[in-house]
Amino acid sequence: MTTLLQTLEALERRPMRTFLTALGTALGIATIVALLAVSGGAQASASKFLNLGSSDLGLFQRDAADPTTSVLPLALVSELRHTRGIQAATPLVLLVGAVHRAPGAIAFGAYPDSFVTDRYVFLAGRMFTGDRQVAVGSGLAAQLHLQVGDTLTIAHHRLSVSGIYHMGVPEQDDGAVIAFGLAQKLAGKEGEATTVAVSLAPTVSRSEGIKTISRRFPGLLILGDGVNAPRTGVSGVLLSRLALVLAVIALVIGGVGVMNTMLMSVLERRTEFALLAAVGWSGPQIAMRVMAEGILTSIIGAGLGLLLGVVGAQLLVGLLGASEYVAPNVTAWDLGQALLVGVLLGVLGGMYPAWRAARLSPAKVLAER
Amino acid sequence: MPGSKVEVEELTRALDGKVVLRDVSFLIEPGELVALTGPSGSGKTTLLQLLGGLDRPTSGRIMVDDIAVHALRHPTRYRREVVGFVFQLHHLLPALTAQENVELPMVAAHVPRRERHERARELLDEVGLLSRAASLPSSLSGGERQRIAIARALAGQPRLILADEPTGSLDALATERIWELLASVRQRHGSTILIASHDRGLLQHVERNLAIREGVVFEQGLDANQSDPDAETPPPSGGDPHDHAPANA
Ligand SMILES: Nc1ncnc2c1ncn2[C@@H]1O[C@H](COP(=O)(O)OP(=O)(O)O)[C@@H](O)[C@H]1O
Ligand SMILES: [Mg+2]
Repeated sequence: MTTLLQTLEALERRPMRTFLTALGTALGIATIVALLAVSGGAQASASKFLNLGSSDLGLFQRDAADPTTSVLPLALVSELRHTRGIQAATPLVLLVGAVHRAPGAIAFGAYPDSFVTDRYVFLAGRMFTGDRQVAVGSGLAAQLHLQVGDTLTIAHHRLSVSGIYHMGVPEQDDGAVIAFGLAQKLAGKEGEATTVAVSLAPTVSRSEGIKTISRRFPGLLILGDGVNAPRTGVSGVLLSRLALVLAVIALVIGGVGVMNTMLMSVLERRTEFALLAAVGWSGPQIAMRVMAEGILTSIIGAGLGLLLGVVGAQLLVGLLGASEYVAPNVTAWDLGQALLVGVLLGVLGGMYPAWRAARLSPAKVLAER
Repeated sequence: MPGSKVEVEELTRALDGKVVLRDVSFLIEPGELVALTGPSGSGKTTLLQLLGGLDRPTSGRIMVDDIAVHALRHPTRYRREVVGFVFQLHHLLPALTAQENVELPMVAAHVPRRERHERARELLDEVGLLSRAASLPSSLSGGERQRIAIARALAGQPRLILADEPTGSLDALATERIWELLASVRQRHGSTILIASHDRGLLQHVERNLAIREGVVFEQGLDANQSDPDAETPPPSGGDPHDHAPANA
């Protein structure tokens, strides 16, 4: 207790150094929090791209960086149609960042008579016909104050709003649907699709369907609604790996930052520790003092870093207009984890400097001028 | 508390291959106040650091009472309980007040808080700086800082006080006050005191002068005009030629 109070006092009397040390820690923690938040957000939002019925599956390219960059050959569609247990298959193109004035909206390219578009419920107007029309989701319509007959520009193409639909699925209600061929052209994906939606025959169970498809088309990532399919699909294979990489990078950057800060603050004060040794402080006593300061500083730093990280991640994602895909979703557990990591880094980062401080030869250091 | 007896025998210290102290032998009786004089670079700091357990000799023996200082593997207790060191640069911690600086050795010794405060204040009173107890070193004069450093050296109630050019950066008046303070400390506590300095004024306060030239230590008289480097080296146990006169001349 006495040590703690003394340590606090000592920190308080060196406000500038304490602040800088804490800031060093804070930047490390902020990096960790921001990257974790963004990657966690990406993970959480990945399975929202498609609304699929309980007997439907979405097929993506397995090694795509994220679902919107998936590329599948159109030939796959007819092959799927001739696969036993599959009732219908229809290709879709996802256009990201193409909707004028709504950078987060996704434009879906689809055939207007497919089983996917059949399910659209129109609040006003009807499904598009031809390449000059667009059907707009209720969320996007509200955001841009669109009504039937208005104009919406997608990838520099002026389209007339044919109808406004509501699906109850955020990604689609906040987006728009256009003709498949037009979307292909706008996306530069002639002969290709982003994803293929598949409807299973009523006689086939979902797990049977997944098994059949994955056996015949091993390069596909199969997403479904509910059960474990979406998780083991997008999050398991693509994004959690990405998130893991980001988290490791963040930990290394943050950890090195914290350790470096601690080491510098000890090296800078070698005379002080040599003096303590000279007046009878034992190695462990000096090490304890360094550790106590390190832990306190990193707690302060971790708090600051949490704030910087959360706010910074929100700002960054907002600035980049990527909020639809990687909405930072930071939970109390994330914060707790980050704080824990901060303190752990403080302890670990303080250990080597403390050991160094305790081993300084007082004769050498004190004789320097 | 009685002062320590210090016996040094054939002490040698080489630093980076250079012999800095060569075959040094001398004896200091308990309670003696001794000057260690010599030009800069002659080895004064090196010798005091060896005596204080801050450094280890290349060869030779240092006995302080019955402690074999040259062989101490863990000198912490020796530094804490036997020696008080006053450094050439005061080495006060800038973030601590005068009183907290004086308390530092007692923190290491686990002296209870209240007793620590009390003793620190007594010591500050003894060096005439009780009124500056709450001041930070940056607001003190050079002389005041050295007196705080002396109070800190006294905190462990040492039997042996080693002062390494404590007046190096002080003016004549402040220097004289430091000598008087150290002399009165010896009188009050009976500690053995060895002071390295090249201030000639120190010789009026001590009863013995060890001279050091290029790492060689020899006995030299107290005559302030004497500066003959060829005086003979004293025998390691040279009887008892010192009368214990009061320090203040
Ligand atoms: N760490 C060191 N490495 C090498 N030589 C040193 C070291 N420290 C001191 N010396 C040398 O030892 C000699 C004695 O130094 P010192 O004991 O500091 O003398 P003084 O205190 O009398 O000025 C000097 O010549 C100095 O250059
Ligand atoms: Mg010196």
